[in-house]
Amino acid sequence: MNNLLDIQNLNVSFRNYGLESNVLKDVGLRIPEGGRVALIGETGSGKSVTSKTILGTLPENAIIESGSIRFDGEDVLSLSHGKREAMKGTAFSIIMQDPLSSFNPVFRIGRHLDDVLRFADRRLGENSNAADRKRRIERVLRQVQLSDTERVYSAYPSQLSGGMRQRVLIGLALLHQPRLLIADEPGTALDVTTQDEIMKLINRLVSENGLSLLMITHNLGVVRKMADDIYVMRHGEIVEHGSFRTLFKTPQQAYTRELIAAIPPLYGPDVEDQPPVDAEPIISLSDVSKSFDEKLLFGRGRSHLAVKDVTLSVGRGEIFGLAGESGSGKTTVARMIMGLIRATSGTVQVDGDTVGTKGQGPDFRRLIQIVYQNPGTSLNPKRTVGQTLSVPLRFAGLRGPDVEKRIHELLAHVELAPHYISKYPHELSGGQKQRVAIARALAADPKIIVLDEPTSALDVSVQKNVIDLLQRLRDGMGLTFLFISHDLSLMRNFCSRIAIMLRGELVETGEPRTVFAEPQHPYTRALIAAVPVMSDEEDRLKPKTSLDEQRRYLADTVA
Amino acid sequence: MQTNPINLMLRRLIGFAGVMFVLSAMIFILARIVPGDPARISLGPSASQQQVDAMRQEMGLDAPLLQQYSEYVWRGVQGDFGKSLISGRHVSVEIVTLLPATLELVIVTVLLIIAVSIPLGVLTARHRNSWVDNAGRFFSIVGVTMPSFLFAILLQLLAANFLSDWPVIGRINYSLDLPDGPTGMLLIDSVIHGDWEVFVSAFKHILFPALALAMAGIGQITRITRSAMIEHQRRDHVLTLKSFGVPDRVIVFRYLLKLSSIAPLTIMGLEFASLIGNAFVVELVFSWGGFASYGLEAILQKDLNAVMAVVLVSGFFFVVANLLIDIVLMVIDPRLRFKEAD
Repeated sequence: MNNLLDIQNLNVSFRNYGLESNVLKDVGLRIPEGGRVALIGETGSGKSVTSKTILGTLPENAIIESGSIRFDGEDVLSLSHGKREAMKGTAFSIIMQDPLSSFNPVFRIGRHLDDVLRFADRRLGENSNAADRKRRIERVLRQVQLSDTERVYSAYPSQLSGGMRQRVLIGLALLHQPRLLIADEPGTALDVTTQDEIMKLINRLVSENGLSLLMITHNLGVVRKMADDIYVMRHGEIVEHGSFRTLFKTPQQAYTRELIAAIPPLYGPDVEDQPPVDAEPIISLSDVSKSFDEKLLFGRGRSHLAVKDVTLSVGRGEIFGLAGESGSGKTTVARMIMGLIRATSGTVQVDGDTVGTKGQGPDFRRLIQIVYQNPGTSLNPKRTVGQTLSVPLRFAGLRGPDVEKRIHELLAHVELAPHYISKYPHELSGGQKQRVAIARALAADPKIIVLDEPTSALDVSVQKNVIDLLQRLRDGMGLTFLFISHDLSLMRNFCSRIAIMLRGELVETGEPRTVFAEPQHPYTRALIAAVPVMSDEEDRLKPKTSLDEQRRYLADTVA
Repeated sequence: MQTNPINLMLRRLIGFAGVMFVLSAMIFILARIVPGDPARISLGPSASQQQVDAMRQEMGLDAPLLQQYSEYVWRGVQGDFGKSLISGRHVSVEIVTLLPATLELVIVTVLLIIAVSIPLGVLTARHRNSWVDNAGRFFSIVGVTMPSFLFAILLQLLAANFLSDWPVIGRINYSLDLPDGPTGMLLIDSVIHGDWEVFVSAFKHILFPALALAMAGIGQITRITRSAMIEHQRRDHVLTLKSFGVPDRVIVFRYLLKLSSIAPLTIMGLEFASLIGNAFVVELVFSWGGFASYGLEAILQKDLNAVMAVVLVSGFFFVVANLLIDIVLMVIDPRLRFKEAD
């Protein structure tokens, strides 16, 4: 078969403050005409640099040392600047990763689309008028299943949901009917059900229009559905290459095996069941509601019910998972439990005390702590690990040498060497940063830790290590975890009990084993069905869901 | 959920009315507790105690403080701030004759700041760490650090030594017939009356004082524009447009400039308001005879009625400038217009 894209011996390095670092080493990759190829690897492995080299959007400090990129037989790297620019968006185009930040917030969606189309037309030497362009844009918007084209066209980015913005990003890539579509982790910033929809859409568009696809991702479940040929990348090198089946059945490299082993299974023999915990409740909520009111000049405006009549209890020592999509109210519930916001009605009890009636003193703060989602932003970049950890310790009343002693203890708990005490966050990897964040939560010696998506910003292999650590900590220190996440496969293996939230209500609670085997609520079924899995067997074990059910519960579903 | 922009604006207006109220109360109390009897100041040291007492009664100073204040506010709302203790004329009349001069100076200053600093900020951001950037940064540091009176004197020296018939003091060549225009601002009035000669003379007179006054603002706004541009340059949405081959100049001058103008415009509003009160140094050097130097004189002479009025008028402009900037920002940034209720 004819290769549409043929990359050979590509070497790219970055120059920073006089230091040169080799980020791509002899990368070779081929995409046949009409083929779907995936490039997988962890953060910093060079996936995005590869796609930027193809597109020609490398930063100024990048140098292409050697190698060739042939597109349809022509060496792209030796083309003149004008010709190279002309290929952007027309010969190949990219689906950007993050729908939330990929639009300029002070311009309308239509403006973005029109400018992209207009300048691409101009580079191709075509003159187009505004009315004609608008017609073409509307056609593309309908293609990506945005039926209310007028509203989308005149909306500002902040007025559209994440799923809709992701669709517009796909539309942007299709404006000029390119031959190669590069998808850079599309939908990873979105909810699992929306992501599922987006993947189906991309798949359909690729096959309907006869496009070739280069899928860049770290989600191996996505790869199974989206690619025939897989390249595994690590430290700027292609370490393994093959079809999905051979790669997953007989991975040659240790790295690939690790990558596969790190994925939590949803069904099948490898699934871990956490033993159920039978203990008196440490957290209990009864009929808790929370509404946010719009502040008007006079009187009260519309109010928005974020949490509605939630009743739940978490036993001492449990790992209680709270699942749901963004906006389902799971974070609001956690914040009420922590006493950060007050419930509008109902009672929240933590360790026998009712939260919110009297002022939450230092004792309460010591009782319950939180680990945030993104350790990159929850740690102060100007403070060393030691300084970060000493703050809660000082609040806990420790002074002088006791502080240092305790910090060493904490670092030992999270399995970091003592010399990490003087490091700054930028010197640490994502996983190490999250360990520091966990150590910070442990500093006050809490009984309960709220884990707000603690692994979603981490790579799968790192995620596994952090989860293992958390489990050891719970067993060793008798902690109770409230685990907030939308990663259902992780929750299946890690939680001793889970609850599913939908639009502020608790729709289902139970042990993961029963919830996943016999989901009662149609929303739970739709949610589980959307999780990308690694094998056909797992796909078969998923609950059946009808299109009608999906449409009823999933905001971004368009038939 | 979305908040209505009109509602947002109304709320802002009420807040600003509150600011004015608090400001008036503060300046009133200050004026009453500083040592010195307004009646005595007004009449001078040679007046007899009886004369002073009669004056106190006339000025209403023997009434309870709360009553004095409420009367002051009531009259102030109607534009009556009492008589100057020194000249004996109505303070409001004096201010109305002097305010246009300062307002004109400040408006030209602000236009100068915008015209110079935004392009300079964009230029230095685009050529980051090049000689253009270094020169631009040096220029802005000089602008911020050098006091405005020094610029004023240097510009006067320049005019006197090298530009033989360039005016160094005053607002206008007084041999010309001045238009008795509606605004009192010579540039605008001369345009309305179609008087070209007056316009040129007024423009020549205003250019150097405005430039001296603008230097600090130019330095500040250039730096803010530059850093906003650089900050936004590495955002994903720029990469999106680049990946689709939208030309660099369009990305910079359309997409980035609008997004990056939010921070400098906010500062601009504050700058405008503070210039109205702080222009006196430049006004004095150029014998401008405006509102700011009037305020300084009032303070030096302890003309309490005038001081109070000057503070309130400056405060009023502060509030109005911020309100205007808020409206402009709402036009630019849809996120402010459709603020999500959290």
